[in-house]
Amino acid sequence: MKNIAPIILSLIFPGAGHLYRKHIQRGLLIILSFTSIIGLSISRISLLAHRYEGFFPVLKKAFSNNPGFIIFLFLFTVLLWIWIAIDSVKYSTLKKRPGVFVLILVIFFGLGWQISEIDVVKAAVQMPDAWKPLSKVLWPWKAAITYKTEELTGGADLVIDDPDYVLPALNRTEGKPFVETDPRWGSLSTLDKNNEIVKGTSITVRGSGFTPGEVGEVWWLDSISNEFRPREGGQYLSVTPDSEGKFEFTMTLPYRLIPPSAQGVQINRVEIRQVRRVGGPIPADPLKLTIARMVETIFMGMMATIFGIILSIPVSFLAARNIMSGSWITVAVYYFVRTVLNIIRSIEPLIWALIAVVWVGLGPFAGILALTIHSVAALGKLYSEGIESIDPGPIEAIKATGADSIQTIMFAIIPQMIPPFVSFSIYRWDINVRMSTIIGLVGGGGIGFLLVQYIRLLDYQAAGIAVWFIAVTVAILDYVSAEIRRKFI
Amino acid sequence: MLEIKNLSKTYGDGTKALKNVSFNLEDGEFLVIIGLSGSGKSTLLRCINRLVEPTSGSITWNGADICAAKGADLRKIRSQIGMVFQHFNLVKRLSVLNNVLSGRLGRVNTWKSLYYKFSKKDYEDAFSALKKVGITQQAYKRADELSGGQQQRVGIARAIMQEPLMVLADEPVASLDPVLAHTILGYIERMNQEQNITVICSLHYLDLVQRYATRVIGLKDGEIVYRGTGEDIRQMTDREFKEIYGEEAERVNAGKPVKGAGL
Repeated sequence: MKNIAPIILSLIFPGAGHLYRKHIQRGLLIILSFTSIIGLSISRISLLAHRYEGFFPVLKKAFSNNPGFIIFLFLFTVLLWIWIAIDSVKYSTLKKRPGVFVLILVIFFGLGWQISEIDVVKAAVQMPDAWKPLSKVLWPWKAAITYKTEELTGGADLVIDDPDYVLPALNRTEGKPFVETDPRWGSLSTLDKNNEIVKGTSITVRGSGFTPGEVGEVWWLDSISNEFRPREGGQYLSVTPDSEGKFEFTMTLPYRLIPPSAQGVQINRVEIRQVRRVGGPIPADPLKLTIARMVETIFMGMMATIFGIILSIPVSFLAARNIMSGSWITVAVYYFVRTVLNIIRSIEPLIWALIAVVWVGLGPFAGILALTIHSVAALGKLYSEGIESIDPGPIEAIKATGADSIQTIMFAIIPQMIPPFVSFSIYRWDINVRMSTIIGLVGGGGIGFLLVQYIRLLDYQAAGIAVWFIAVTVAILDYVSAEIRRKFI
Repeated sequence: MLEIKNLSKTYGDGTKALKNVSFNLEDGEFLVIIGLSGSGKSTLLRCINRLVEPTSGSITWNGADICAAKGADLRKIRSQIGMVFQHFNLVKRLSVLNNVLSGRLGRVNTWKSLYYKFSKKDYEDAFSALKKVGITQQAYKRADELSGGQQQRVGIARAIMQEPLMVLADEPVASLDPVLAHTILGYIERMNQEQNITVICSLHYLDLVQRYATRVIGLKDGEIVYRGTGEDIRQMTDREFKEIYGEEAERVNAGKPVKGAGL
């Protein structure tokens, strides 16, 4: 009989039964969880049907949008409701019954899935599309090198629509490319009334003195020297000279509108252009820029660490409990400094960088400023803990030998402080370099600045080079800092 | 001669560690202080070289008022009093040799010592101190690489280096096994007998007290509850020894061995 009241109370309001049975903490936790589940469910369901009004229309629309979610929510909420009622009777401090919280966690997981718009299908379907840019990032080294090039050009003029006009004779020079056309005049392709192409004159182009075997591009220059690559059958025209550097091909004069205002003889030109590598591979711009920015990044991290160390040493003494426990004033300073350090530290360097950019403008100095602010707070705390963990024993022993206070600091305190000091400083340098790689995302200079530009330009190969450099630098730094720290402790 | 009169110490949190402790000690004695943990032994020892400031009372040593000494005078007094600690209190990251040399800090030029520069004689003395405790081989090792027994030898070498007139030893063997205990106390006894250095040492084990003490003081709750000579203590039974340690210890001891009583 005495079990009825909590069950009914729990069915009316989940968690009330626990309160009735004086399990206050559990009851409050259940009430809090249950009300947030209901609240979140209502807000998510109304979002699913955001243009509908009224209980049933909304439910209906939401169900048609995402039936799995609605069924899940309904079933598990009802199950939870009943479970809580049973739990309110069966729970006792002697017997742990975690079941109800497991169920709450499951519902929160389902809600979280829907709220964070997790879409496994999308991830699977879009994987092949993503592979192309990703593969460029993974192996970007094609963009890292480039070659100096040399252009070999030869061309011949043509008269448009005027077979009687005589062009100056072509003269062949030894060692220079030579091109001639047959005939030396023609009509351009045009469009008729139905927008159908009317093919122009077909000409034969002959050439000599080109680099054998190297593909040459065919270019067309109209009467005002606008140049373009003519196409045939959708493909750009190109030509490969034979072993003597000679070639011969036929082409139709391309479509080109002659403006009505054009006067006099129209002379067009066909050119064959060969681009040739000269010399060995040289680093491309993305590689050079990446290296320069990487160096900047490492030094940003170093400068921020050095400033951080210098500024945090005095601060750390103010934040060390064993040093500041003298009077109420020092204790007040201790709590004040600690609180300020905690606040500064809890704001991410990226946000400090946003502030610093407003302060000193874009560039590495803003990044250094942001990292320094964060470093002072982080190192101040770590150093102060190092100071707090000093063993008072040796200090006592050195004092007992009759040493004065400077000698005591030199013999008993400094040797104890060096290992944590060095360890924390190197650790911070490591963090600062890692941080300065991304602080450029918000304009704080360094390699992140470059990376975000390459990504916005969709130049994934160049971005890949930057990513590789970041990864390798961070890995090396990680190893080196771990080694140094291991040696010093 | 050391004269202690009405010495009291109350800590900031209100703990009364010493209450009106008075005793005289002739030069060259080996005084052993016995008592439970928290009975005030450590406080008493630390008042003698002012590592702890006494609240009231006076300490006079060979005519000098230790309680009134300040600055350079206090450091001079401290440099004449060697101290050995239960947990050795070596500077772990310094070499054994530097730890021993730190015994000279009270007598050398401050600025030279700041970059660990000592005279040739200081180095010779440090090696001879290390030789006395038999660990010359370890001179250049870092102090924390040594075993507990070896670390305490370094602690004693540091005290020898002070060329002290008095040695305070705060439970010097409580962290060591019984065989080592005799070795360590043997070094202290040799200083006492060969150079007539006054020794004040706190100990837990009755057999050690009986073996080394020429005089004994029992402390309980900051008050002296027993005074005796070496002869007295050698005739003492376990039961009487327990009484000094208090009924509380005895009752616990009836059930299972109590570490504090050490019996």
